[in-house]
Amino acid sequence: MLARATLAAPTATSLARWEVRLKLIGLLCLVFAFAGVNDVRLLPVMLATAFVVYRLSSLPFRYLISRLKVPGIFLVALAVVLPLFSGETVIAQFGPVALRLEGTVSFVSIAARFVSIITVATVLFATTPMPTLVRAMNSLGLPPLLGDMLLFTYRYIFQLAEDLSRARTAARLRGADLGSVRSVKTTAYIIGSLLIRSNWQAERVLAAMTLRGYGASRARSPRHAPQAWDVAGLVACVALAAVLALFPVLVL
Amino acid sequence: MHVPDGIVPVSVAAGGFAAAGGVTWLSLRKIERAHTVPRNGVPKASLLTAVFFMASLIHFPVPPTSVHLVLSGLMGVVLGWYAFPAILVGLFLQAVMFQHGGLTTLGVNACIIGIPALLAHRVFTLRTRFGARRRAAGTAALGFVAAFVAVALGAAAASLLIVTTVPAHLDAVVERTAVTALLFAHVPLGVIEGMFTAIVVLFLLRVQPGLLEERF
Repeated sequence: MLARATLAAPTATSLARWEVRLKLIGLLCLVFAFAGVNDVRLLPVMLATAFVVYRLSSLPFRYLISRLKVPGIFLVALAVVLPLFSGETVIAQFGPVALRLEGTVSFVSIAARFVSIITVATVLFATTPMPTLVRAMNSLGLPPLLGDMLLFTYRYIFQLAEDLSRARTAARLRGADLGSVRSVKTTAYIIGSLLIRSNWQAERVLAAMTLRGYGASRARSPRHAPQAWDVAGLVACVALAAVLALFPVLVL
Repeated sequence: MHVPDGIVPVSVAAGGFAAAGGVTWLSLRKIERAHTVPRNGVPKASLLTAVFFMASLIHFPVPPTSVHLVLSGLMGVVLGWYAFPAILVGLFLQAVMFQHGGLTTLGVNACIIGIPALLAHRVFTLRTRFGARRRAAGTAALGFVAAFVAVALGAAAASLLIVTTVPAHLDAVVERTAVTALLFAHVPLGVIEGMFTAIVVLFLLRVQPGLLEERF
């Protein structure tokens, strides 16, 4: 599962080279503007924007599909509930089952927002290495303690995934049936052991980091002055986000 | 219990960020007051967060489906005030790496899972009232209660939020039925999490009790 979550994104694209702080602000503006879209007329514009951003990233479409699979289960549940139970205007009747207009519109809006937001978020995180992203978030005001926790956790997730997998394999080889509810006790012991080992490891890590000067001063992130096209990208994203957000006001 | 992107109105998402920002500020303030060098606790809190992150990917079969652990109660019990920032970090990574939850709903999800974790921490601190003879039984019982309460509160908040904000045209009866159904669907998860947390805290009490005492 962790392997699916990581991808060596193409680095030669303009999106991968976009100044990280401006990319973060620009794409997050788009994401939050998408979250606020309720007008059905804006849905094609939103989907087209997400599609263009994804094309610019040169990421493979298979990757996007794989990202949509897990949360898509929730969408499938909504596809059943909303069109069949929400609203009063019946647009089609199949025996006892009625398809309702209001629920269908609600579902289409949610699905479009969901796909657009995940598409743009995928571009943001697949084209920016996590350490670079966290440094940018720190420089934009994220508390240092949160930034450090984010980086540390990200750093050790992969190691702990291997440790957990090894411990579960060992338990299975000793005859544990980890596929049933009865395995709660075995799994709890495995997690308890991992907690204790991680606690010891953390003490060693802190000692090593202190020797290297951790906490003495904040490392300054290397910054390069944004180029004109970096700013142009930000302006385009913010302008589009503003149009999407203000559309209901502008039309009225 | 994770609310995905695109579901809740942007005003609710913004409110979630405001609330999560407030609780994060409070947590960081409590951490800073409790430690001379707050950042010394970062490696430990992060490594334990990584363990919880991995453990939350473990599924248990509950026919006809399966449930995955949330571990908000156990995080509150072990991490104390670090639990809320840890949950925020964990949810961010889950949203970025697996699309569990969402980016725009990060604040809402952090409140749904993180605030019950802090309450679980408060519940678990009651164990100091048990005498030495009943320490183990009291620890296990409070571990169970803390985890069950954390799951129940989180499930109630998530169910109410989803049902009341998504379909504007659902009638009151359907809405009430949906909330009740969602809540009952989380009962097996609450029981499993309760058992899991009780076993883990008993294990820690026997092997490394300091992990339940210290607030690094």
